[in-house]
Amino acid sequence: MRTKILLDENDLPRKWYNIQADLPRPLDPAYNPQTGQPIGPEDLAPIFAKELIRQEVSTDRYITIPDEVRDILTLWRPSPLYRAHRLEAALGTPAKIYYKYEGVSPPGSHKPNTAVAQAYYNMKDGIERIATETGAGQWGSALAFATQLFGMECTVYMVRGSYDQKPFRKMMMQCWGAECIASPSPLTNAGRAILERDPETSGSLGIAISEAVEDAASKSTTNYSLGSVLNHVCLHQSVIGLEAKEQLAMDEAEADIIIGCAGGGSNFAGLAFPFVREKLDGRRPDLEIIATEPTACPTLTKGLYAYDYGDVAGYTPIMKMFTLGHGFIPPSIHAGGLRYHGMAPLVSLLHQEGIIGSRAYHQNEVFEAAVRFARTEGIIVAPEAAHAVKAVIECADECTRTGEEKTIVFNCSGHGHFDLNSYEAYFSGALPDYEYPAELIAASLKDLPRV
Amino acid sequence: MKIGFLINPVAGMGGAVGLKGTDGQHARAMALGARPVAPAKAKAFCTALGPTLHTFLTAAGVMGGDILRSCGYDCETVYRPAAATTTRADTIAACEACRAAGARLLLFCGGDGTARDVFSVCDHDLPLLGIPAGVKMYSGVFATTPAAAAEIIRRLGEASCIDAEVLDVDEEAYRHNALSTTVYGIAATPALPGLRQASKWASDGSSEGRTQEEIARFIVDIMRPGTLYLLGAGSTTAAVTALLGLEGTLLGVDAVCDGRVVGQDLNEDGICALLERHPAAKIIVSPIGAQGFVLGRGNQQFSPAVLRRAGPENLIVIATPAKLSRTSSLYIDTGDDCLNAAFGTSIAVITGYAMAQRIPLKT
Ligand SMILES: Cc1ncc(COP(=O)(O)O)c(C=O)c1O
Repeated sequence: MRTKILLDENDLPRKWYNIQADLPRPLDPAYNPQTGQPIGPEDLAPIFAKELIRQEVSTDRYITIPDEVRDILTLWRPSPLYRAHRLEAALGTPAKIYYKYEGVSPPGSHKPNTAVAQAYYNMKDGIERIATETGAGQWGSALAFATQLFGMECTVYMVRGSYDQKPFRKMMMQCWGAECIASPSPLTNAGRAILERDPETSGSLGIAISEAVEDAASKSTTNYSLGSVLNHVCLHQSVIGLEAKEQLAMDEAEADIIIGCAGGGSNFAGLAFPFVREKLDGRRPDLEIIATEPTACPTLTKGLYAYDYGDVAGYTPIMKMFTLGHGFIPPSIHAGGLRYHGMAPLVSLLHQEGIIGSRAYHQNEVFEAAVRFARTEGIIVAPEAAHAVKAVIECADECTRTGEEKTIVFNCSGHGHFDLNSYEAYFSGALPDYEYPAELIAASLKDLPRV
Repeated sequence: MKIGFLINPVAGMGGAVGLKGTDGQHARAMALGARPVAPAKAKAFCTALGPTLHTFLTAAGVMGGDILRSCGYDCETVYRPAAATTTRADTIAACEACRAAGARLLLFCGGDGTARDVFSVCDHDLPLLGIPAGVKMYSGVFATTPAAAAEIIRRLGEASCIDAEVLDVDEEAYRHNALSTTVYGIAATPALPGLRQASKWASDGSSEGRTQEEIARFIVDIMRPGTLYLLGAGSTTAAVTALLGLEGTLLGVDAVCDGRVVGQDLNEDGICALLERHPAAKIIVSPIGAQGFVLGRGNQQFSPAVLRRAGPENLIVIATPAKLSRTSSLYIDTGDDCLNAAFGTSIAVITGYAMAQRIPLKT
């Protein structure tokens, strides 16, 4: 009985899997917020690298990973697939539990899988600096790590709440040579507008995105980079699922349930999409695929499938996705990476089509699950990943009740070494069980853009 | 800082002898053999407090001076009761003397009756804090124990003032086992960031008033045409009427429909009559008092008949996080067990714009 299923460096995938080739119907077009017209490559060119724009709309099933990118990925990839023997035993479940551990990357999460690729394509285009946003600091540190490997500068707008609460993430960015600015900041129009309304705001991802986009759009040698949501990000993350499939085969296992937490949807997509393909083409019709999220920001479980902006100021393209409204500022739960009002259009479409499911959890039950995981498997997971752990335990307990020996695979998207104060808050009983009052809000999402 | 310190020496005496409150019953309690309890509670407070840089202003003898001095505190006597047996008039006069001498907070040891008397001097602009010693302590100005009161005084620098209801309990009815409570007034009381308080970067940093406004903004945004909104007592619900630019009552139940006031300070019958005309209705309340009663204390106009007609699913509870953090659960006591159960074992409380917290519910 193996605990770690490891691939050789040579087995690192040579191509990314692009689910756009296999969707049940094509994505609805994104719209330009200024012109109201469908987005074309020329709309994105001022802030995105050419190849990334091409990937965003590509329907090729496989896209080659450049050697320079693969080379860097080998620093931590292929990542291990673990069999959670000790968690299974503690739960007394007949289910088999596997997890892909993305916390082995230098920044400690799945985020560098796309950060390295994005930095590379921008470097190829002669870009000197990248501006981005970060919630809990995972994405900011991943991009800081990636840009310096290609000799680029990096400016990170970090959600104020995390900036104050997570000084170590800030210092990691500094180690990797990036500049980290608390958002909302007085440096951008978007930031100033918010500060004027609410000088003490804890900020949000939606606001930080507005700031980074504005920064990038105003300078020709600066581009913007998004750590989740977009199609090319989901594409780059597909290495997770591609590796996991190989590793499961090595253990002669086949997944019955796939689980990942979903903030903007990228780590979930990364693990799930290569498996979704088998559900779409009829090979695995019963495969259950579950995205998990906080009750405080329940985009998939309680949001609307509608056109909305990706950011607060309304600078980004208008995309068809599950959304709680771009003006929604989620409560300051500790899973900062899950505080986003929208969801990847690819994940949204699959959810709308009933191909993937979703579950939402309160903070306290999520940390309870994370502590159980730490006390059996040893890994102290990021609060975001803890939302996946909660669903895993729930599904395993369901198997215990029914006696089914299902195989559950989840994405352990990162470690929580810089989130220990959230564990402290949990242990002291100080975590409120926030939730989104969906029934009251119902269909009153008033400020969705019209297209 | 100067802090007024007053003991109602007879508070709590009725409890042990089954009188359910001592207001107007002091002689009878004595005759039944009741012993004073407030001095011991005050002493427990002093012991828990230890040395302090604050200056106490107090009344002579049993009303404060004796205990403060016996515990080694320097204090300034600002009032002397005329007779050995003190009365409500003494409490009120002593409070006025403390206020005149520059007290910034009135600390009192007593029960709901004492709270009402102290509040009559303080109103909303001079904060008060109760060391619990009475028979009934429903008012929100009480700390949970004398030691908890001491903790608040010790960490006054971290405390922020929140609104707390002072309840008027009809003792005569209470003695006959009918609990009739109405909100007498809204006081200001210091509260520490509690256990359930959100992490530092939640909606705090913003003041209590701003948070109330944020809650009100959300409620106003989800209001639908043709729906009747019944707003219970308290400053959190009052913020809703204020945001609508309407005139409401702070302590009573008001009704709003389509942006107009359609009823003020309503009683049960008035509410029922309105529900007859407006089948779609929502009841909006904020937890009342020290224990966090959603229903059953202070908002008794929302009777079982009213709640049944409006439907338990149409209850909206609103509260600032600071206020919620004072209790670990909320209570519903409609007087009808079957109806109590209809509210479930937990309830979502609106604590900000499009933001709620799930809180355990007890009956
Ligand atoms: C460890 C970890 N998991 C998950 C997420 C959520 O993002 P996504 O849904 O794009 O994977 C984040 C985002 O910061 C993260 O840091």
